[in-house]
Amino acid sequence: MGTFVELYDGIMELLVVLFSTWALAPWVRGVLGGLVIGAVFGGALVMVYLERKFLGDIQSRIGPNRVGGRFGVLQLIADAIKLFTKEDIIPAKADKWLFIGAPIVALTSGFLMVAVIPFDLLVINGKEYAVAVSRMDISILYLEAVSGLAIFAIFMAGWGSGSKYSLLAGFRNVAKMIGYEVPLGISIISVAVMAHSLDIVEIVQAQSTLWYIIAQPLGFVVFFIALLADVGRIPFDQTEAEEELVAGWATEYSGMRWGLAFFAEYLHAVVGAFIITLIFLGGWNGLPLIGNLNIPGIFWLIAKTIMVIMLFIWVRGALPRYRIDQVIDIGWKVLIPLALLNLLWSTIIGLIWA
Amino acid sequence: MEIIDTFIPVAIFLIFGLVIPLAIMFIVKQLSPRSKSPVKFTTYESGSVPSGSANIMFNVEYYAYAILFVLFDVELLFLYPWVTVYMNDVVLNNVPNFTTIFSVFAMAFFMVVVLLGLVYEWKKGVLNWVK
Repeated sequence: MGTFVELYDGIMELLVVLFSTWALAPWVRGVLGGLVIGAVFGGALVMVYLERKFLGDIQSRIGPNRVGGRFGVLQLIADAIKLFTKEDIIPAKADKWLFIGAPIVALTSGFLMVAVIPFDLLVINGKEYAVAVSRMDISILYLEAVSGLAIFAIFMAGWGSGSKYSLLAGFRNVAKMIGYEVPLGISIISVAVMAHSLDIVEIVQAQSTLWYIIAQPLGFVVFFIALLADVGRIPFDQTEAEEELVAGWATEYSGMRWGLAFFAEYLHAVVGAFIITLIFLGGWNGLPLIGNLNIPGIFWLIAKTIMVIMLFIWVRGALPRYRIDQVIDIGWKVLIPLALLNLLWSTIIGLIWA
Repeated sequence: MEIIDTFIPVAIFLIFGLVIPLAIMFIVKQLSPRSKSPVKFTTYESGSVPSGSANIMFNVEYYAYAILFVLFDVELLFLYPWVTVYMNDVVLNNVPNFTTIFSVFAMAFFMVVVLLGLVYEWKKGVLNWVK
């Protein structure tokens, strides 16, 4: 264990020294950041596999078990091959550019979110370096802004498909999203009020003594529900309710174009799990009282993120879907007052602490 | 300069976001079979022939929600800068008559005003999806 930690520290120190002294560093960081995109994309793939496997368990099925041994670990590769070799169909009634653009906007929004996610904070020679593709001092605001782009993607798909099901899904999505962006934003502010910063790195550092899930449990509940709605997972997947709208905004999509939109969705879910971990579950800090047990922070972060992803899957397996009017009601009449209450609570607690 | 350094990787990611889907679709174009028939390009409507245009006008009620959303989102935008300054030592020491308690109460007053707006809309029934 000791040698492993030393190895990790050595590699990180080398990278930090390289990037802090090199004039071209931002460019290279951006290009190498592609690897981070790849890693998070891989995380999204793992999530798809986990979801199929665990949903199978929850519903007393086996789940994927044919491709790649007993546990079907190669199922996704088989699916990818299938998607790559399927015909690309753009319906005659579709608005071609909106139809093509929608998955691209969704993916781009996911990629841009990955750019500011910090994975660890290293202290080398007394200076702090965040392990992130780009460190901003407004990163949580930036994350909220670029995640908002995904709303356009779904509306583009809904309007551009030229199908009634898609259009209804697009309407529903806009109505749902504008209701849930507000509690999401207020709970983010409640966290920032305690940390006195909009920088995720500082928010995580402020949690080194106490995680914000303990300091403001109500905020966590509101944020979790709003995030589920934001990434469009059950019980908030009215935009692709298969019993009502065939496949919602994705009705006309097929082959790889559908695959891109689908992966964009999972990318958002994974990034969302990262955000929950970072702003409520202490990020790369170890467990409270126990400490980080000499394990590098990035492993804590990833372990907690996997836990959150499991929670997403569990929620999907356990809960039915809300009706669209119930969704709107919950957003405006329950979550916003609760979020404001939590903002009051966190401001008072923050003042008492300081 | 520092801000530019921060956003260069973001710009590169933007390019990734545009190029990667196009590259994937290019690969798909090479691999996928091609067979054209007019039926294949019709809109899906549970097997029957689609009737009418899908690009319908939408319910004006959406606007009530949209305006409410704008109201709340602009309010949130005021909160974002506030959280960074209300306990910042540099600001507290250099801005005359600015104290943490004062700014918290000012923001609380602002929130109460906005909350009154929400309560008013609620009582008016704008928040009811099914009228």
